[in-house]
Amino acid sequence: MTAPGARIQRPRAASPLPGTRRPRRRSRLVWRPTLVALAFLSPALIGLVLLRLAPAVVAFWQSLQGGGILSGGEHFVGLDNYVELFSSADFIGSLLVTLLFTVIINPVQVAIAFLLAVLYTRRAAGSGFWRSLVILPIAVPPAVSAVIWSVIYRPDGLGNAFLGMLGLPAQPFLTSPTQSLTAIMVLLSWVGVGYWMLFLIAGINDVPTELYEAASLDGASAWRQLWTITFPLVRRPLAFVLVADTVSNFLVFAPVQILTKGGPEGSTNLLMHDIFNRAYTLGDLNTAQAEVIILVLLTLAIVAVQFRLLKSEDAA
Amino acid sequence: MRRVSLALVALSATAALALSGCSASSSDPGSADGSVVKLLGAEDPATFAPVISAFEAENKGTTVKYTQVPFDQLSSTLQQRLAAKDKDIDVYTVDQPNVSQLAAQGFLEDLSDLKDQAKKATTPEQYSVNVYQDKLWALSVWNSTQMMFVNNDALAKAGIAAPTANPAERWTWEQTVDAGKAAQAAGSKWGLLFEQVEGYYQLQPLAESLGGGSGITGKDMLTADVTNPGWTKAMQWYADLYSNNVSPRGVGGFQTSPVFADGDVPFFIGGPWDVGKFAENAKFNWSVVPMPAFAGGKAVTPNGSWSWGINPASDHKDAAKKFLEFAALNPAGNLATTEKTTIIPANTEAQAKYLPTLEALGGTHSAGVADLITEEIKTTAVPRPVSVGYVQFESMMNKAFADIRNGSPVEARLKDAQSQIEAAWKKLR
Repeated sequence: MTAPGARIQRPRAASPLPGTRRPRRRSRLVWRPTLVALAFLSPALIGLVLLRLAPAVVAFWQSLQGGGILSGGEHFVGLDNYVELFSSADFIGSLLVTLLFTVIINPVQVAIAFLLAVLYTRRAAGSGFWRSLVILPIAVPPAVSAVIWSVIYRPDGLGNAFLGMLGLPAQPFLTSPTQSLTAIMVLLSWVGVGYWMLFLIAGINDVPTELYEAASLDGASAWRQLWTITFPLVRRPLAFVLVADTVSNFLVFAPVQILTKGGPEGSTNLLMHDIFNRAYTLGDLNTAQAEVIILVLLTLAIVAVQFRLLKSEDAA
Repeated sequence: MRRVSLALVALSATAALALSGCSASSSDPGSADGSVVKLLGAEDPATFAPVISAFEAENKGTTVKYTQVPFDQLSSTLQQRLAAKDKDIDVYTVDQPNVSQLAAQGFLEDLSDLKDQAKKATTPEQYSVNVYQDKLWALSVWNSTQMMFVNNDALAKAGIAAPTANPAERWTWEQTVDAGKAAQAAGSKWGLLFEQVEGYYQLQPLAESLGGGSGITGKDMLTADVTNPGWTKAMQWYADLYSNNVSPRGVGGFQTSPVFADGDVPFFIGGPWDVGKFAENAKFNWSVVPMPAFAGGKAVTPNGSWSWGINPASDHKDAAKKFLEFAALNPAGNLATTEKTTIIPANTEAQAKYLPTLEALGGTHSAGVADLITEEIKTTAVPRPVSVGYVQFESMMNKAFADIRNGSPVEARLKDAQSQIEAAWKKLR
């Protein structure tokens, strides 16, 4: 295989025999559009290499380094950082919390977003207004929503005042190891559901109305229409929402840092927060990079499984 | 031909973008000028404006340029920029317990030739926090202590006589909790509240008062000792405050002082910075008294604040040192650092001039504060331990405090903290 650069660098002065001119001109014509395309793509490609690929390689390389400030300088330690992570009870705890969080929050958020999207695409009085209210939290920065919810979750806060109105006992929320993760999930869903709903509303609006009219004539109930028309026809936007939601939930950081700092008893210590803590609080950048690699691999594995499941459904 | 020129245009645009990115730092006019000292810290720029203008007035031709980095990002920013030998930092503010780690990493210039002057300028505690392996690495600029703020109206309702500002009549923690509970019975929402509910700085004195030590021991100060009887007893007392509803759970560090200002708690453990805050916000009769100690235990108060150090990669070390000496060793310069904020100057002479101003802030409410602070800094102050592993230690302990406050069993949680600290310290060796 000849490198493309070799062809254009061949000097014109060294003109070959007349018989060979034609194929060279043709090859130039073939290569020129490619070069132009490459030139136009170069900002994006350079950005991709500098901002994505190079940091990933650096992260992997650093995860194989070790050495404390007292032992003087970094040196190659192989997979020691990975071994150490998997033998640390704190890391295993963080991994399990992250998996539990992922398994619960993603289906719940997608299901609520889907049901709300169905509800707000119905022609009803004030549906636009209610839709706006659901979308509104997107405009609030994550740190601000965390502070708002910290007031709600305080023992003497709005949450317990509301429970008191309903005659229910006060709850510890963020101060209890059994409730804190759920409390964080509620906060994140308050922000996230409206955002994911937008994509699903766009998907539902694309479903031809004739299908619903035909189903109505055949006597299909609203429930039946939802499951046999709406759901299968919005599977593509649903797939996008599920994958994007999964990735964004793996990267949750601000609410944990502001509200619980991973506690109580590590019950909200999601991997992203553990990485930050290891890198910037404990100053152990090498082990933190190993944890980054594990998080990326975990995210890729789960997203790959999601794609595979959705693909097989398509084939069926 | 047209396509080739299009490609050239696209390539030159890319090159221009890349080059403009690369050249941003080299075009900074300040870095080429030897008379510019660059200071980096976490405070609002207005805080350091007086000391900068006072220094510039005395040293014509030298200017100081201040850059603020938010407190939460200061440590990580310093780690990244100092490790990269960034010359755009000449002087930077150092949280005192971090001095030894930064020195061990080679991020601080040796200031040992200023040892004698530094010793004379401040208290022995404030001198020692800057010493690591017998060398002086930074100079103390600010100092602090903790006191107890009292809501006298809430105590009067419960028929309890308020404590006085006299350290000889210091209350015990047991006495304070009993009075707090009585105030709760008389209508107060809570009994006692610490400002930094999950902060080692404020909770260290509890263990120290019961003989538990700082939690770090050993010749190299890398042995954790937080499971001894002193620590266990102190933390059990702290846990009981929350399980008995004397202190509120779920109120974060930045939400505590409004609880006192709103009149919801009779006793509040806070710092000098709260004097000005409560003078503005508290609409009841309050006073300032010594921080309590355990019955039969030692009276101990927190101590320490910020020092300043010099970046070894700086190109302007002489000018930087001159500025640092002005801000820390010159009483007028040190006093100027506190002109726009409520914090105690570390320089003893500056402190004597500053404290009456602080006392005047709260009027009759803060009467006696100047003498109280002077006495506490002299007799009961215990600084945070000087250890290369302090950062890891503090982080693990603050998490343990949070869990203990929320109901984790004290002994088991302290044991966990001890093993977590030891695991983190292993990575330093």
